[in-house]
Amino acid sequence: MITCKFFLTALAVVVLGLNVSAQSKYTINGYVKDIKTGEELIGANVIIREIPATGAGTNTYGFYSVTIPEGNYTITAQYIGYEPKSVTVVLKQNTKQDFTLAESATQLGEVIIAAEKKDGNISKTQMGIEKIDVKEIRNIPVLMGEKDVLKMIQLRPGVKSTGEGNSGFYVRGGSSDQNLILLDEATVYNASHLLGFFSVFNSDALKDVTLYKGGQPSEYGGRLSSVLDIRMKEGNDKKYGLEGGIGLMATRLTIEGPIVKEKGSFTISGRRTYADLFLFFTKDSSINQNKLYFYDLNIKANYRINDKNRIFLSGYFGKDVFGMKNVFGFDWGNTTGTLRWNHLFSEKMFSNTSLIFSNYNYNINIEPAGAKVKIISRIQDYNIKQDFQYYINSKNKLKFGLNSIYHRIIPGAFTNETDSSISKLNLKNNHDWENAAYISYEFKPTTLFSLECGIRLSSFTVIGPGDFYTYNKTGETTDTASYSSDEFVKTYFNIEPRINANYIIDEKSSLKISYAKNTQNLHLLSNFTSGNPTDLWIPNSNNVKPEIANQISFGYFRNFQDDNFEFSTEIYYKHLQNQIEYKDGAKQFNIFGNGNELIFNENVESQLLFGRGRAYGIEFSLRKKSGRFNGWAGYTLAKTEKKIAGINNGEYFPAKQDRTHDISLVGIYELSKKWTISATWVYYTGNAVTFPSGKYQVAGQIVYYYTERNGYRMPDYHRLDIGATWQRKKTEKFESNWSFSLYNAYGRKNAFSITFREDPDDPSKTQAVQTTLFRWIPSFTYNFKF
Amino acid sequence: MKKYIFRLSDWLIIILILSSCTKVIDIDLNSVSPQLVIEGNISDLPGPYFVRLSKTVNFNKTNLFPPLSGAIVKISDNTGNSEILTETSHGLYSASLIQGTPGRTYELTVISEEKVYKAISTMPVAVNIDTLTIQEFCNGIQGASTGNIIAKYINVQFYDPPEINNYYRFIQIFNGVPQDDIFLIDDQLHNGQTISNLLAHTRNSFQPEDTVTVLLQRFDKGVYEYFRTLSQLRSAELSSAPSNPLSNFSNGALGYFSAYSVRSKTIVIP
Repeated sequence: MITCKFFLTALAVVVLGLNVSAQSKYTINGYVKDIKTGEELIGANVIIREIPATGAGTNTYGFYSVTIPEGNYTITAQYIGYEPKSVTVVLKQNTKQDFTLAESATQLGEVIIAAEKKDGNISKTQMGIEKIDVKEIRNIPVLMGEKDVLKMIQLRPGVKSTGEGNSGFYVRGGSSDQNLILLDEATVYNASHLLGFFSVFNSDALKDVTLYKGGQPSEYGGRLSSVLDIRMKEGNDKKYGLEGGIGLMATRLTIEGPIVKEKGSFTISGRRTYADLFLFFTKDSSINQNKLYFYDLNIKANYRINDKNRIFLSGYFGKDVFGMKNVFGFDWGNTTGTLRWNHLFSEKMFSNTSLIFSNYNYNINIEPAGAKVKIISRIQDYNIKQDFQYYINSKNKLKFGLNSIYHRIIPGAFTNETDSSISKLNLKNNHDWENAAYISYEFKPTTLFSLECGIRLSSFTVIGPGDFYTYNKTGETTDTASYSSDEFVKTYFNIEPRINANYIIDEKSSLKISYAKNTQNLHLLSNFTSGNPTDLWIPNSNNVKPEIANQISFGYFRNFQDDNFEFSTEIYYKHLQNQIEYKDGAKQFNIFGNGNELIFNENVESQLLFGRGRAYGIEFSLRKKSGRFNGWAGYTLAKTEKKIAGINNGEYFPAKQDRTHDISLVGIYELSKKWTISATWVYYTGNAVTFPSGKYQVAGQIVYYYTERNGYRMPDYHRLDIGATWQRKKTEKFESNWSFSLYNAYGRKNAFSITFREDPDDPSKTQAVQTTLFRWIPSFTYNFKF
Repeated sequence: MKKYIFRLSDWLIIILILSSCTKVIDIDLNSVSPQLVIEGNISDLPGPYFVRLSKTVNFNKTNLFPPLSGAIVKISDNTGNSEILTETSHGLYSASLIQGTPGRTYELTVISEEKVYKAISTMPVAVNIDTLTIQEFCNGIQGASTGNIIAKYINVQFYDPPEINNYYRFIQIFNGVPQDDIFLIDDQLHNGQTISNLLAHTRNSFQPEDTVTVLLQRFDKGVYEYFRTLSQLRSAELSSAPSNPLSNFSNGALGYFSAYSVRSKTIVIP
């Protein structure tokens, strides 16, 4: 209720603010773009020199708007890695002013001064935010040379890799399904290829990558830990271009160009791996006829109808294919589509309407001689989203909007064309309707203080048809309620306040505080140590309640040496409710059962336990942004625990992703105009795992005895990767470079898994066996651009 | 329905084989105070029936599990019969008076070191095996003509009685040696129908002239849950949260007490 009152007061301030601003004030608005490609720049700053601390950042479509009194002004637009540009404006009426910025041509050793805003980290209200420079990615060494935004994100404090070479990530103690991953606003349900070693994001197709670790803006919702907002490139609207790369793992190609010059553009970006080619090297005929590859296709087009209207259409299609000749086929992938309409209702009111489709599915085909067995599973979203941004004046900004998503989940459908008696293996399909409304208010009363507060109202409705079961403590069904088609089974409502505040101590330092409540209505059940394409998404139901997280964080930000060094520390505490774990001995949802038996557990919810959790920690980051040598160092000290009745006697126990220490060091050094070298080093405490402590004999077998869940630790992990980029020709017309990398340069035997078995040489003994995946993996990639 | 044999780990392995390596490591595992393990059986065949008591050892010790002597072990049924078992050798207790009868509920009580452990199990009526057939597989696929991995497995067919919640276990005896594979099935998907189940064991393929006997045990849900979780644990290499099998004993004892009925059929591999 306190938040409600607070909010009403905030609204009143806005309305009053409107009245005051009615006298002789005018609005300047427009877009900030790249001069060469016409790409809008997201998060560029527009500053009015005559009125300090007034200005605006461009939104995700490159649009800005400021309202200031009549007068003569010098207005400057700035963006990271670009030369700033200033114009003089005589403001006597509402004015449209676009900026086109040129990339700064840095001389060797020269200090890049045109940061997005030199002290942006100090003056921004948001905290817990990580912006990844897509251009910086090419200098970071990675596994198999496949540059990857998700692996880049893992090098930032508070973000951790889910495992060796894996693109999955944990944010501030949250599990990997608690990250909302958006590609042009469409949810990506499984962001990994090939068991997680590569992400689905082809970095050639990306324009902007932002991760919110805390204090999520109220326009986002649906996941507890983080929001990863990825925007695809619009394409060059001035000339055609071709860009690509050939690597050990994959080949990439991007074509972009104008549809109508300076009015519309398109981009098509594709990538395909040839991992299956490796299989030909093996002589074993049972292996070399197999299929094993993945591809990604990103397509985007936009057209500016007039000054007030613009439409965008974007799509992503990706798939992993695995198959054994004539025997077995397994493929999985995401498809997303987004249709957007930008509309300017006035100089101050920006609107975006999005129609979004998103799909993740997997198919398994088994074709033994004569028979045809098929398993499909799918999660689909139909999503409509309306966002408004109202730039009231230079001190006040209002964002509000609505969002409605229809989810359709097919957990598993089994068909057998030769034997129809098994058709009842189909699991119940889920239909759910998720709605949200939000309003957020940004307020800068003085140059020293800024506030952003918002509220998000969310609802989640479980819709029939289907049978919904109630279970007793031992997991037996005690009651069944049948619902017909389109009948509402259960609705959950949540109120999610979000607050960010920034107090600027002096021009070099600031203090920030943020609070956010997030809810999550879709939950991923996974029991494997690494992500698996057949992991099951389950929605809320009569048994499963929305997960809730309340996070509070404080941050101190300090810049040194003329903003060349950025230091920050953030401390957070997160309280989690309705967390989900499998029961001991749970009958798990598993497409591949033991031996030949398929396990399709209709009552998977009866195998779950619910409880609470807490995650807290402190993050340190020191970053050098410019000069021949740049990079950063990050350190996180953290703890994540769960408390669930029925596990470890109801005591707090470490969550799988609990890691005490996490260090990452990244260094990039420009040796000469031709050569850039780089290195990354990571260290982290091993995950919490369950190992046996004893053993005994039953039914003639040795059985391991477990005393508690997650009571042990994997060994500490550390790894050094080194890389080099060799810039060949660089002209206006053609550009090419080679990049080389060596993954795990000192060949550390990191543990991917530890298993226990009978000693093959002495059956009276048992032993622990460690599996190591990647050591000294070299790679090279040739990149070109026309 | 044609059968196929495929496990997730198979394709995982194909990918990882390209670059992975394994080594035996020394690992510092906690030592645990010895826990009681009870393995008790009673069937509808004539006795004697045995209950074995032993203790756990630490993981790094040799596989010698200390038997537990001097315990009071009692089996009783719901019609008033009861017997105190005699210890015939260290940790092995035998019942020779009581007779397993389908339909009765049995209780096993173990009193040791001032603690009482109890388990209850109800013996269902036996179910006969209809047929045993041999099926051949190449590359995990039945009837495929190419490929170099040829395996022979036994397929069991039997008729599930009309009542629901029936639980079964198959045990294969190869030339007189019982195998420790755990094959389980329940009637959730096949109630009242003919159940056909392939016994895809992990051992090498059969040779001609081998004699294989298949036992069909039927027991209650508690015993089934024990063996289900036991077999899940064995295949749980990649599971992130393995846990002890769900025992039907009270007071934290490991192991199980099973009152089962059993029928068998024998086949000679051609």
